[in-house]
Amino acid sequence: MKNIKMMALIGIFGIGTISGQIARVDQEVYGMDCAPCAYGLERGLKKMDGLQEVRVSLNDGKAYLGLAEINDLTLRSIQEEVKKNGFSAKKAEVVLMGNATKEDGQWYIETDNERFAVSQDTSIELVQKLAVGRTTLSGTVQDEDDDNLSDQWEIILSKIE
Amino acid sequence: MTRKVFPKVSLNVHYVKLILLLAISGSGMAQGHGPLYGLQTPTLAKGGVDLNVAGMSLGTETETSYMLRYLFSYGITEDLQVNLTTPTMIERLGETPRTRGNSNMPANGDIEASLWYRFFSNAFGVGKRFESTAIVGVSAPTDNVRGQVNVGNAIHAAISTGYASRTWYAWIGGGYQYYFESDDERLGDLPYASAVVGYRPNIFMGDYPKPDWRIFIESLAEFPGGNKIDGQLDFSDTRSTKVLVGPSFLGLYGGWGISFGAMVPVVQDLTPGSVKERYRIAVNLSYWL
Repeated sequence: MKNIKMMALIGIFGIGTISGQIARVDQEVYGMDCAPCAYGLERGLKKMDGLQEVRVSLNDGKAYLGLAEINDLTLRSIQEEVKKNGFSAKKAEVVLMGNATKEDGQWYIETDNERFAVSQDTSIELVQKLAVGRTTLSGTVQDEDDDNLSDQWEIILSKIE
Repeated sequence: MTRKVFPKVSLNVHYVKLILLLAISGSGMAQGHGPLYGLQTPTLAKGGVDLNVAGMSLGTETETSYMLRYLFSYGITEDLQVNLTTPTMIERLGETPRTRGNSNMPANGDIEASLWYRFFSNAFGVGKRFESTAIVGVSAPTDNVRGQVNVGNAIHAAISTGYASRTWYAWIGGGYQYYFESDDERLGDLPYASAVVGYRPNIFMGDYPKPDWRIFIESLAEFPGGNKIDGQLDFSDTRSTKVLVGPSFLGLYGGWGISFGAMVPVVQDLTPGSVKERYRIAVNLSYWL
């Protein structure tokens, strides 16, 4: 009986805690034309806690970021760093480990700090694969206005692990 | 009024001195990534620090000046940058032509502080953006007399707009420098305009962190106004029109940069007896902190 009560308590507190994060971001960046642009952005990104791998490509116009296994980085903070360097953050390809939830027919993927609404442009086959609970998936997060970033995003899913 | 007169020395000795001074002073300094003489638009990242050291020389028909110039820049935001530049005059000209010389760093002996505000920026593609920047600055001279006229403090304003991409660059701009009176004498105003085209050859389109080189063709038009003595135009009438053209080269690798270039006058519409220029050359070393 005691064990059952203990397991019930663990279960209650476990459900109440979302443990989700971003695992990988390939962030598109517009406006980077030269070596110091890439150098400055790379330096700024490397200073952020939680990034394990940073590679900036001028020709691709992208910052390729690998995040630490445990991190509390947000896509918003990454895009704000791009803006601080004088460029424009566009769409991002991400790998998320989060909690899938459904509200009023709309699917969401929630990490500790952000919420990604699954876009209607996601294929029906993938949407049908979604299930409430922990999930790892990848997709493309749509571009938002650099001056009005928030912790709410829209994502077109491409793969569910 | 006292004129400073400098003894004539062999030109070869001057070049050797300039190179040695650059070698001694040139490490660990930094600057932006645009043209050497003309107005440009890029500003530093928020919190970015940029240090530069430049060697500059201006040759007239009878004399040659040499100076070092230091430029410190800080990005207050990604669109607002503050700059401070100070000179070390090695040899001044006795007869000074009226010029600002360089949009970032004056070719005269002034200490200058300025604010650059990038008020428009549209990054519309990979490696591409349009942007426009306004500049306001104040300067204080380190000499008392310039061109036989007392030189006072000055204010400077300019605006430039341009395009930057992985292959082509282009900027146009214009500015105006106004000198305040000093002991009832005032240097004439200095309106100017610049136009720059830049190109990055295919061989330097390798991705970061490969070396990155560009060539610019720069042009600068200056229209110095007449000096005033006791509020009246100086009888010698030093109003003039000058147009200079020349190439500059910019090499970048990681946080390091070097740029060098020269300009020669193609138009010099001067009043008789005015100082004619032969060339302007500059070398700039850069490092981004």
